[in-house]
Amino acid sequence: MDSAINHEQPKTPVIPRPPTQSISLSLTAGIYASGMNSALKRSPRVECESADLLDRIRYVPSWKPHWAKVQTLGLTFPEGIEFLPPPPPPKDESNESSAELHAVKDLPQSKPDGGTKRERTATRLKPPDSTLSIEDRLFYVLQAPLEAMLSGQELIMPFEPFAFQYEGIAWLFSKGSALLADEMGLGKTMQAITAIRLLLRAGHLRRILLICPKPLIPNWRREFQMWAEEIPVVTVEGNAARRRIIWTMPTAPVLIANYELMARDFDAFEEDERPKFDLVVLDEAQRIKNRESSTAQTARSLERKRSWALTGTPIENRPEELASLFEFLEVVPPRGTPDLRQLKRLANDYILRRTKDLVMTDLPPRLDRDEYLDLAPAQQYAYQIAEKEGIIQLNDMGDEISIQHVFELVLRLKQITNFDPLTGESAKLDRLTAHMEEISSSGGKAILFSQWTRCIDWLDERLKQFGTLVYHGGVPTKKREPILQQFKEDPDSHLLLMSYGTGAVGLNLQFAGYVFLFDRWWNPAVEDQAINRAHRIGQKNPVFVTKFISKNTIEERIDLVLQQKRELFKAILGDGDDTNVSLSLNAAEIFGLFDMKARHKKGTKQIGPTPSSDSSQDAAA
Amino acid sequence: MSVGSRNDKLKLGFLTAIGGREKGYVAGLLVTNQFGRPLEFQCTTPVKPNRTQQILYGPTLVPFIMGELIARTLVEKVGVKPELILTDRTEILDLRNHVSTPMFCIVEESETDDSVTIGQQTFRAHSSFLSDHEMIAEQIASMLSHADLAEPLERVRMALQETISLAAA
Repeated sequence: MDSAINHEQPKTPVIPRPPTQSISLSLTAGIYASGMNSALKRSPRVECESADLLDRIRYVPSWKPHWAKVQTLGLTFPEGIEFLPPPPPPKDESNESSAELHAVKDLPQSKPDGGTKRERTATRLKPPDSTLSIEDRLFYVLQAPLEAMLSGQELIMPFEPFAFQYEGIAWLFSKGSALLADEMGLGKTMQAITAIRLLLRAGHLRRILLICPKPLIPNWRREFQMWAEEIPVVTVEGNAARRRIIWTMPTAPVLIANYELMARDFDAFEEDERPKFDLVVLDEAQRIKNRESSTAQTARSLERKRSWALTGTPIENRPEELASLFEFLEVVPPRGTPDLRQLKRLANDYILRRTKDLVMTDLPPRLDRDEYLDLAPAQQYAYQIAEKEGIIQLNDMGDEISIQHVFELVLRLKQITNFDPLTGESAKLDRLTAHMEEISSSGGKAILFSQWTRCIDWLDERLKQFGTLVYHGGVPTKKREPILQQFKEDPDSHLLLMSYGTGAVGLNLQFAGYVFLFDRWWNPAVEDQAINRAHRIGQKNPVFVTKFISKNTIEERIDLVLQQKRELFKAILGDGDDTNVSLSLNAAEIFGLFDMKARHKKGTKQIGPTPSSDSSQDAAA
Repeated sequence: MSVGSRNDKLKLGFLTAIGGREKGYVAGLLVTNQFGRPLEFQCTTPVKPNRTQQILYGPTLVPFIMGELIARTLVEKVGVKPELILTDRTEILDLRNHVSTPMFCIVEESETDDSVTIGQQTFRAHSSFLSDHEMIAEQIASMLSHADLAEPLERVRMALQETISLAAA
């Protein structure tokens, strides 16, 4: 830089003289009386000093590039559990047992060139709102989109999920407390399994406990095999000693147990011996709707980091049941009793519920038709006698009367609306036969539900011309699967007769286009579950649902009460969602069917039977 | 090749930066396996040039900050060393002068003749390191033939936004 400075004086001025302008300085100024004014009268003293010109630069400003050390933030991702690679996909895809999965498989798949027939979106994992630390939040943000993870790169999926299922998987992934309440048939099982799979691979889970009703354990095992076959799944079973070993086995990532075993075995553990889990999943979580039950108490006592609940019917009877589920999710304090407004807010935060109407816009419609039938003459006579005598008997009981007595009368009357026990006359059978002639002639298949196995057997004898098959609690378990297979494959088999208790849950019968509800169940959710055996993913045609209701009978009155009760629950889980409600009649309402008042003090005791036991139905009958 | 074979060991670095002179520049480096599963992430706090630095670096300021200053720091800092670094900022590509890891930058297909297609994107190497093309063609391109290599960079940008918003909160 020295060379850039010229030390010599210029010989000729190069800067033009600046223009000047004279300004008069005769300004007047007032003097403020400060006491120092005499000093202002003195003439200013001016002194001059001479300075030599510099002959060299004595100060050189310099600048070195300097940057403060860059601060960094690091995040190492936990190593997920590495599983053995899954075997190659089966060559014979016709062996698939799940018809639902066949339907999903039919969806457009990713093409090898990366393009797709279906528009792809990126479903990203979002950090939970409660996650505050930057490291935890980045863990979620930096995960690959679900579509990338599950599109056959690292994790092989047998079939591509729907967009709403991706959304459900991402939601579960991010949730410590979650109630997945999708309507039946939308794939809650698959979404839960896939979220578990991703969390295992991400290293966020090591040990998972899945609790479900005993009959659904084979179904869960099959679904794990289908959607995450690399994950070892161990069922808690055997004698007490063996179960104890399984409970404490550290190497099993996923344990499946039924509710009864869970309650029994955990009571036997010492407090400090109880196994701990990263995640506990309750399937059919309405099982813990009663807070006081030992099942609910044990479920709440399980030591866990995450709590998920799965159910298509989060409210079975009363809003308080939802509070019991929230207590398991640990989002309300013990014994907390949130009001309706609080329940709605909690539902927004912790419940994800989609209905088929909302998400399966391409699912063929379900066409419901209530057929109101006049009883046949013999039925009419038998019904009137039974009702008259029954009410007289009830009135004669005075204070001895219980809801059980009323309930027995209801059952007797409902049975007569199905057929007259003496003559066998049945208006419903006549109408059903007419329908079945049309259905069978067109090669269609129908499912019929009744709450009585005896009624099903009675129908079986009278409808043989339609190749009837029977599926109820009286059929040995080993024979059930072949019956379903025959119904699917045999072109001469047009009608499957099922009980609500055995056939309403977990079966995929979407090749049937007709559903008959020969008699009505006690709550609409169970009926919906039954109908959804046919009206589910994979159904390609409209499903015609026919409900038989005998005019001027107990059936009509029960139907009216149930319809009225649906309205209350829409307020909690959203408008337009009337499928989540399964409203059994309470004691007061049952008494009200005969214009009687309940003697029970509380008046809310549920008297409808559970659909899981056919035998109880027959016994009650 | 199946999961668990040597392909599983391929580690990719995704490096990008966001920001400006006013709020400062932040960069992030995400190392993933070949399937996009995250293994490690490093990011910087905002680096804000002062007035003197802006004047004296002139047009070289942004490449310097993004490449030599913060990107280089990240590459040196990261524990899981990537075998390939991909970016979508041409300014960062100058980092190649300071690291031995092959680097590529996403370009539009028509942008240059010296480009190579990896997965669904087109990339180019630093003009002084065109030999990187050979390395990628021989060893890696076939492994990533269907990969969307722009997506992880999107994740890095979202993560950087997340850190900035949290720092501002």
